[in-house]
Amino acid sequence: MQLKENSRFKIATLVRNIALYSLFTAMVNAQESQQDEWDLDAWDAIAENDSTSNVSPITGFVELAYSHRLQTDPVLDRPQTLADARMQFQWDYALQASQLKTRADIYYDGVKNNTELQIRELAWQGSLSQLSILGELGQHFDAKVGQQVLTWGTGDYLFLNDLFPKDYQSFFSGRDDEYLKAPSFAAKLSGYFDWVNLDFVITPRFTPDNFINGEYYSFFSPVVEANIASEFHVASENRPTSPEYHLRLHKTLGSHELAFYGYKGYSPLPSASDSLGRPKFTDINVYGFSLVTPIGPGIVKFEYAYQNALEDTSGENPYIPNSMSKYLVGYEQEIIANLTGSIQWYTERTQEHGLALANSFWPQFEQEKVRNVVTTQLIYRALRQTLTFNLFNFYSPSDEDGYLRFRSTYSPVDQWSISAGVNVFYGDKKHTFFNQFDDASNGFLSYRYYYTL
Amino acid sequence: MKKSFLALITFTGLALTSTWVSAKTEINVQNIIEKAEMASFYAGDDGRAEALMMIVDAQGRKQMRKFTILRKDIEDQGDQKFMVFFSRPTDVKNTVFRVEKHVALEQDDDRWLYLPALDLVKRISAGDKRTSFVGSHFFYEDVSGRSITEDDFSLVEENDAFYVLDAKPKKPESVEFSHYQIKIDKTTFLPMSINFYKGDKHYRQVETVKVESISGYPTVLRSKVSDLETGGYTLMEFRNVTYNTGVPDEVFTERSLRTPPQQWLQ
Repeated sequence: MQLKENSRFKIATLVRNIALYSLFTAMVNAQESQQDEWDLDAWDAIAENDSTSNVSPITGFVELAYSHRLQTDPVLDRPQTLADARMQFQWDYALQASQLKTRADIYYDGVKNNTELQIRELAWQGSLSQLSILGELGQHFDAKVGQQVLTWGTGDYLFLNDLFPKDYQSFFSGRDDEYLKAPSFAAKLSGYFDWVNLDFVITPRFTPDNFINGEYYSFFSPVVEANIASEFHVASENRPTSPEYHLRLHKTLGSHELAFYGYKGYSPLPSASDSLGRPKFTDINVYGFSLVTPIGPGIVKFEYAYQNALEDTSGENPYIPNSMSKYLVGYEQEIIANLTGSIQWYTERTQEHGLALANSFWPQFEQEKVRNVVTTQLIYRALRQTLTFNLFNFYSPSDEDGYLRFRSTYSPVDQWSISAGVNVFYGDKKHTFFNQFDDASNGFLSYRYYYTL
Repeated sequence: MKKSFLALITFTGLALTSTWVSAKTEINVQNIIEKAEMASFYAGDDGRAEALMMIVDAQGRKQMRKFTILRKDIEDQGDQKFMVFFSRPTDVKNTVFRVEKHVALEQDDDRWLYLPALDLVKRISAGDKRTSFVGSHFFYEDVSGRSITEDDFSLVEENDAFYVLDAKPKKPESVEFSHYQIKIDKTTFLPMSINFYKGDKHYRQVETVKVESISGYPTVLRSKVSDLETGGYTLMEFRNVTYNTGVPDEVFTERSLRTPPQQWLQ
């Protein structure tokens, strides 16, 4: 009994001690976790040192993306327009006053059933202040030399003075917006002065757009008056290898941004043809200007470009598209909190349209003298920007056709994101710009996982 | 004049001066809030800091933001220029945000975003300032500063250490709160907490967690914002804070969006 009571007491003490110990450790843990919460480096293992090191970590993502036609295409038996397994690498190296930048994608393209490597960036970028031969002048210049993606101009998904290469196959198939811009090997010199800033880009070897050529999508052929998907490539003699020159002069005056542009090179799409009827890139010059300024609660933009068809200045040559004037007016504003809307009006006016029609082999399929496109965009960000909806619609009142893009992306953590959406082409006539792709309308789904090495 | 006071993201603090301490007996509410604004947003003529944010949602999922901020004042309590260079997470690495903050109420801030994957400089239209800043629980207005002319302030409490002011919006329809209370440290004039209410309901809280004096400027190094309705919160820490670096105006231009000014970032 004595023993029993004794042991009961011991057990009670033990239980109490355990309880006290638990409480104590719980309090200590609570205190530690309060402190640990602020030990952001422990949580973020690579935060330490990465601001002082010259070598940034290798970062990037792996992605699976798939899209499926919403209908069948009678001339292309593949139901999918996109089937990518992709890995992107990004790596930067900081030098004294410059950087080496690398960004490359390796991906398996399930539509074409091959593996591709795309170097999106492999370039040196920095100030020329180190070049002693330039003296003081060097401080005014930056350069970026190598493989790079280049963009300028004011339009959303509409490009007037931006003649840098685009990738419409990626754009139409549901790949991320990043892939609308294709890389090119170029040297960019940027000068900054009190009275004007300038960018001068030389692309030593003409780099065209990645255009619709029957690989992923069929397109309208005026010869057979129907869509075809006979994959074509531009013959080497129709593919210039000479340089392209891009120039931009720009200046910000208060809140107003003014820019002038010039381009000497070739049509980015093989929209001309040779005497055998084979597709061909044609010589063009483009001149233009743009203005961006805040008005009321929004931003207004205006851009103009004149595209000069150097191989057909009279407009009579049926093989060469005529010169063209292009106008863009746009307005963007936040409509309510987290919802931004924008509208653009775009006009292409073909010069000497009468002569073009008179000499055309297929006047019934020629573009209207004035082609208009209206775009509207709504972007809604929800759940602290972790969920985004983006609706973009092109509609051409002159062609009575259009193209609707919708993408929703959800990314509640830094490590992954998931996207889904549709690309829908619509219209009445088989030959118009957007509606020729109506059998390519698709729904897509993609998953991205971001990594840091 | 649009004057801001929240001691949250910018390099905070003013030199401690004996004038302030001795003047406390005569201080009025307008003085307090103006000094709090100076302390919070206009320390030195310019500043640089690295910011680390941890965003924790209601389910405990974490996100990180890491960026370097450069700031230059055009004049005290006046217009300012900011550059924000993101390094984390991976999908926004090398993205740069440029702001020209205008204090005149009728003029919106000018804002640009540089998206490196597209080499695109995008002008951004003015937005509602009480929406999430870079996906965190901080609002854009917490970062850029809410105009002190937008609220009516009254002193609700004063002790040896703090002033507590109550603020009521002049345009209640333009904000989600009905009023907030701000506790201001008497020596540094830094807001130590801001509690937001919808009626009687306390639903949002901003706390100053750690203050240190840097080059004589009391500076908020750690702050926390909590969404008391969902349970989510964001921690923010500043590191390597420096003032009066002499960063020139040319750094706050499009040039720095495309070619980050390495010497001012390290």
